[in-house]
Amino acid sequence: MRLSLRQKLVGGFGTLLVLIVLLGWVTLSLFGSLRTVQRRVFDTALPRLVAVDEIIRSFTAQSAAIRGYLISTDVSLLEQYRTEVETAIEFEALLLERDPRGNERELLENLIEAGEEFQDLIDTDVLPLAEQGQRSQAFRVLGQEGNVLISRIELLGEQLRLVQDRVVADAENTLRSRQSQVLLTLALVIVGTFTAGLLLAILLPRRLARNLDALVRAARGIERGDFNQRIEIHSGDEVEELAVRFNAMQRGLKRLQQLALQDRELEIAATIQRNLLQRSIPESEGLHVVPIQRQANLVGGDWYDIERSGRCLSVIIGDASGKGIAAALMATVTLSSIRAERGMGAGPKRIIDRANKALLDATESDSFTTVLLVNVDPESRVARWFNMGHHAPFLLRPRVDGVEGTYLEGPSNRALGWFEDPGHEEGVVELQPGDRIVLFTDGFLEAKDPDGQLFGEDRLAEALVKLAPLDAANLGEQMVGEVERFAAGKLDDDLTMLIVELEAP
Amino acid sequence: MSQQKIDIDIAQQGDFKVIKPTGDLDVYTVGSLRDAIGQMIEDGTTRVVVDLDAVPFMDSSGLGALMGGVRRLREAGGDLAIACTREQHLKLFTITGFGEGVSIAPTVEEAATGFRS
Repeated sequence: MRLSLRQKLVGGFGTLLVLIVLLGWVTLSLFGSLRTVQRRVFDTALPRLVAVDEIIRSFTAQSAAIRGYLISTDVSLLEQYRTEVETAIEFEALLLERDPRGNERELLENLIEAGEEFQDLIDTDVLPLAEQGQRSQAFRVLGQEGNVLISRIELLGEQLRLVQDRVVADAENTLRSRQSQVLLTLALVIVGTFTAGLLLAILLPRRLARNLDALVRAARGIERGDFNQRIEIHSGDEVEELAVRFNAMQRGLKRLQQLALQDRELEIAATIQRNLLQRSIPESEGLHVVPIQRQANLVGGDWYDIERSGRCLSVIIGDASGKGIAAALMATVTLSSIRAERGMGAGPKRIIDRANKALLDATESDSFTTVLLVNVDPESRVARWFNMGHHAPFLLRPRVDGVEGTYLEGPSNRALGWFEDPGHEEGVVELQPGDRIVLFTDGFLEAKDPDGQLFGEDRLAEALVKLAPLDAANLGEQMVGEVERFAAGKLDDDLTMLIVELEAP
Repeated sequence: MSQQKIDIDIAQQGDFKVIKPTGDLDVYTVGSLRDAIGQMIEDGTTRVVVDLDAVPFMDSSGLGALMGGVRRLREAGGDLAIACTREQHLKLFTITGFGEGVSIAPTVEEAATGFRS
């Protein structure tokens, strides 16, 4: 059963209150019971005992009054006899009113019968004989028959007294027994209430304290950076809820820690990637290259490399499929291979083949890299390129009436990393002074506006022509700005652009 | 990079299956296509046509996943063909060389006729 902390506290103290009320009720009940026993002794047994004594005394007094009357003929003694008779009848009635049972009733009835016989003897024999002047005869009758009846009355009275004594003794025993019971019950109830109170006072705070202690220990562990603690609390109250939240918080912190670690790793990867990119761009007389790059993330799959060979510049732009670390690793593999081959003086075909081989070895078939390798000779004004699955470069050519822009749709070969033989068909174009060849990655074409529409080749061509009056660096920056505006600032892919410019004389 | 689900319908058609993704096939959603192809190979299906009719945009990750599917299905003794009429995708297939050796046709039925035996 799930109980809140408040419910537990209220329940605990409520139970204690109920126990205290119970204790009071039991105490009152027991005292009431004692009072009942006492009332039985004082209201029933003792009056009966007094009544029995009074009856016996009355008959003894009746006998004595009659004897005195026979001796002295004093009428007051006869009156005394009558009074005593009434007294006896009164107490006999009193005893009968109490509704005696069994032996007691039998004894009482015998006593009444003997008393009536005695009074009958006095009224019918003794007193008439005395009135006739036969006092001796009256004495004799009283001595013989009267004494027998008085003795019988005394015996019956004694037996009745014994019965009443037993009743009193039984009542006293009951009283003593009840007293012991009362004391025992009271002791038990007091001990029970005290124990319950003590258990509530100890267990509830102790469990609470133990659970809170577990939470404190876990909090200290978290402070040390330990997010693997499992807090098991099943108290069914707010503390359990707190433990559940605590465990969830640890998972969250662990994820944050992992993310922070990943961020750190990403930063390291980004640093490596930045270092791989060229810090200084080689130039040739009358020919220069302006690179522009905006990465959507810390690391990405876009890369470029520019090398001067004699008077020529060899410009390569590459785009690894996918995004993030995987794309960055592919870019690193390709770029490393290309740099190594260039370092050994390899020509374009070998550079492409070796990069393709490196990617085939390092990646799965669902990864590939597109590469555009352009060689420009400023003297002969000829550009030759190998397009390995990349988008065609764009040529900006100054005209008298403005700038002409066209995609150089030359022969296309296969992307790297898929096929053993990627192909080596070469594109060639003759350049004019002021020509600009724009190499770019698919981030420009695949930028989406909020409606999901792509920037596409036509917009790119249009924008490049429009921005052509600007110098190369500004053109590149403005072009990036155009795409960013188109995508409402939400660029999902890297933007890399190389503008190769054959300077006008 | 958080993965998103893309709706993918799979239907049996003759002796091959047709996978029809609906929505952009990019780095965020391509996992679903990759998983669907992987599940088919596990279930013993090796001849698959991917219908790109309901894919308005596909980036290099999507193209990579298709090439990965071609390789895996061919290794399993089958093949992957493409049903596509979208110029943008067809241009991507041409530029990258993906289209060489892979059956690409406007309809599922035509694409299926180009399965490697």
